[in-house]
Amino acid sequence: MSSSETVVDPDKVRLWSEDYEGHDVISTRTFGFWMYVLSDAMLFATLFAAYGVLSYPHSYYTGPTPAQFVAPWYTFVQTMALFLSVLVYGWAMASLKDGNKSGVINGLLGALVLGILFLALDIHDVMRLVAAGITPEVSGGLSAFYCLTQVHAAHIFAGLIWIIVMLWQVARKGFTEDVVGRLISLRMFWQFQAVMWVFIYVFVYLWGYMS
Amino acid sequence: MSHGHVNPIDHPEVQMASRRGYMTGFILASVLMALATFLVSSHALPPFALLLAIMACAGFAVIAQVYFLLHIDISEHNIWNTVALVAFIPLFVITIGLTWWMFSQLYLRTMPMIPGMPGMH
Repeated sequence: MSSSETVVDPDKVRLWSEDYEGHDVISTRTFGFWMYVLSDAMLFATLFAAYGVLSYPHSYYTGPTPAQFVAPWYTFVQTMALFLSVLVYGWAMASLKDGNKSGVINGLLGALVLGILFLALDIHDVMRLVAAGITPEVSGGLSAFYCLTQVHAAHIFAGLIWIIVMLWQVARKGFTEDVVGRLISLRMFWQFQAVMWVFIYVFVYLWGYMS
Repeated sequence: MSHGHVNPIDHPEVQMASRRGYMTGFILASVLMALATFLVSSHALPPFALLLAIMACAGFAVIAQVYFLLHIDISEHNIWNTVALVAFIPLFVITIGLTWWMFSQLYLRTMPMIPGMPGMH
């Protein structure tokens, strides 16, 4: 700005910014939400531990085990519904980068529909098991199985409500700092559900099926 | 960094979104999950090898998702998320691992471990 030849007038020089530039709100909130996501992962860790100690042969008493009731390819379709939902949400975030409002809304709608598909497949699977008399009260192993898988489903349900709220906020308020920050938090929440699902799918469904 | 009067869309947290990155993470995770499902449903390997194979599939799928989707890397903007995750992983592993270890030793000493054992008292 000022070269060495410029004479600085002490009465006119400005040593500070005229206005308050504020915190980096989005970075602060995003890091805070990441802390929440990791503590949520600790909740899942306790449920994985419970499932781990309650998936021995004696845990199922003499009742049904996952080897008898898990349908791997059915649950794989569920996996794809969730992964696609996360992918489409990612496209919404890429549209946000370009400031493309209709792109964001379409991406959120796509993620919503695929998330509902995941939840519908989960509910259908639970109803199939319940109809076959495979309910949580049958054995400790089944209690742990239901608890872990349905806590994940509850997270998906909460995420779907959040997506609906964000659809409304993006449409009504546009890309304000608050709305953009929430879209980023929801992105982490939604992607985190896919990460947890990998553990649940492989270590509960697939491992249970092969045991 | 200050973004007080700047368009929030210009924030690095928004600008790091990448269609190609998300697609890469999706394809890698999907292929690994399809492979794990195929291996398990076709009983292609003996049980212990099968367990190792699906554990490897899960591990790589999670790494792909964490890197390509959650942007966990060592860039200036994301380094603290990465540090938090690195500090978190031992807690996750220890919580599950110690609980499982404790109960497996307990069962070994107290439970009849014969599969299909008719009832316990």
